Amino acid sequence: MTLMSVEQLTKTYQSTTVVNELTFSLEPGKCVALLGPNGAGKTTTLRMLAGFIKPTKGEIVFNEERFSRDVRHYVGYLPQYPVFHNWMSGEEFLTYVGQLAYLTKHEAKAKATELLELVNLSDAKKQRISKYSGGMKQRLGIAQALIHDPKLIILDEPVSSLDPIGRREVLNLIRELKKDATILFSTHILNDAEEVSEEILLMHKGEMIKQGAISEVSETQGTTSIHLSFEEEPKFIEERLKEIDSVFKVNREEEGFIVAVHDINIARSQLLDLIKHEEWELTRFEIGKTSLEDVFMKAVTE
Amino acid sequence: MQWSTIFKKELTEHWRSFKWIWVPIVFIMFAIMDPLTMYYFPIIMDSVGNVPEGATLDFPTPSVAEAMIMSFSQLGLLGVLIAVVVSMGLVSKEVKSGVYELVLSKPVSFTNYITAKYVAALMLIAFSLAVSLLVGWYYVNILFGTISLVQITVSILFFIVYFMMILGIVMLFNSFLKSQGLVAFLSIITVVILNVISSIYSHVITWSPTLISDYINMYFYSGQLETEIWFSTVAAVAITVMCLVIATITLKNRAID
Repeated sequence: MTLMSVEQLTKTYQSTTVVNELTFSLEPGKCVALLGPNGAGKTTTLRMLAGFIKPTKGEIVFNEERFSRDVRHYVGYLPQYPVFHNWMSGEEFLTYVGQLAYLTKHEAKAKATELLELVNLSDAKKQRISKYSGGMKQRLGIAQALIHDPKLIILDEPVSSLDPIGRREVLNLIRELKKDATILFSTHILNDAEEVSEEILLMHKGEMIKQGAISEVSETQGTTSIHLSFEEEPKFIEERLKEIDSVFKVNREEEGFIVAVHDINIARSQLLDLIKHEEWELTRFEIGKTSLEDVFMKAVTE
Repeated sequence: MQWSTIFKKELTEHWRSFKWIWVPIVFIMFAIMDPLTMYYFPIIMDSVGNVPEGATLDFPTPSVAEAMIMSFSQLGLLGVLIAVVVSMGLVSKEVKSGVYELVLSKPVSFTNYITAKYVAALMLIAFSLAVSLLVGWYYVNILFGTISLVQITVSILFFIVYFMMILGIVMLFNSFLKSQGLVAFLSIITVVILNVISSIYSHVITWSPTLISDYINMYFYSGQLETEIWFSTVAAVAITVMCLVIATITLKNRAID
């Protein structure tokens, strides 16, 4: 069963096409990351899915049309830069948006209390939002997206603007939410996607260039680089590394070398053999994770 | 239910930004300023002095009707300005700040959004007008003579209709402009143009809503309501409804960025 299926979704502003013929579907209970560099059309796509921008072309079918009402009843949305009524307290704001989503005042209040607990804002619930920090606002933003128990939660760059601690908190929260809702969130950082999501959609210049399970996508890219650092840089190291047959490129970085290889298993043992033989003082040996940049470079040039 | 949620939120917002206090106070000042200065003018001149010896200053004391009209015309000028300033950001401010995006992500009907905000603003302005004009009426009654409660009440109600239309115009500009300043500027320009056109062709378009204040003035002089004031009222209501409908449609089709 599909929660939401999207076909040939297109958005054109004047003559520029921001989103071009996207086709994909969201399975219930999954966490999906929408990846792409700035300007890829992620926000526009999410806004169309959240039901408040009309697509120029294409179709969004929600739950095989079992819900015929306004899709906004079933979708919770967190904008990239959530702005609130700063004169309200956190609790007041949640109650307000809850009532906008057709909860009774009583229900909205109860739900607000519950969510403030969940996002760890209970102590600040009576405080004016103008006094909240950036991280607190982001968490309040997530709480407001959940106020009407949405079937689908859409988060636009939920962690990009946060410091490491805030980022950790929000990622943990997403992991928590995954248990009983479908989540679609956008990001331009691959690590975030890898940490919490099962599937990724990769966008570039308004087009979908890759989609699938996260293991699949990174496998097709191949984890093909090894980071090396040494106590003291050995002589002729670059030449020696290049002599290994599974190595095809050596890049000098600030903290050592990035060695691009054909086959990670062969290269690993060959490199370790060489290092042991030469008795180089190794301080770091790391199988490189595929960076988003690599994925893009490969996907775009393909 | 959604309507009353937005409506209550608006009232609270007006309250917390002290609009329910300062707008009535400012309006009261406008309403009593002219009648009071006119009445006390000779005394003020005396105490300031500098009147050459032997010169007799003869100031005609305004009639009751003239005094009351002063209150209305001050509000018709400065009160309109304040009403525009108070309502220029109703929608545009929320769109510009970005709260609108959050509101929009909930199943909010555009009609509810526009009309609830409009009615809340209208209540604030209507309350301020009523209070200030009643205070003005109180002073006029003490200093100049009698105007009946019925007459002042009827006049206030018609005057509120005029402001109803002005708020409708402001709402219309709110629905497609992001800058509050521009909303205020264009609203005032529109009101000025409407006023100029109707006073030039006042014998032709006798139903123009901007003539409501003229008809109120005549009512104070003659004690008789002009029939035309009803046509003006209908026109004002029609324009208001039109503005709100267009504002709703515009907002619905507006692209957010």
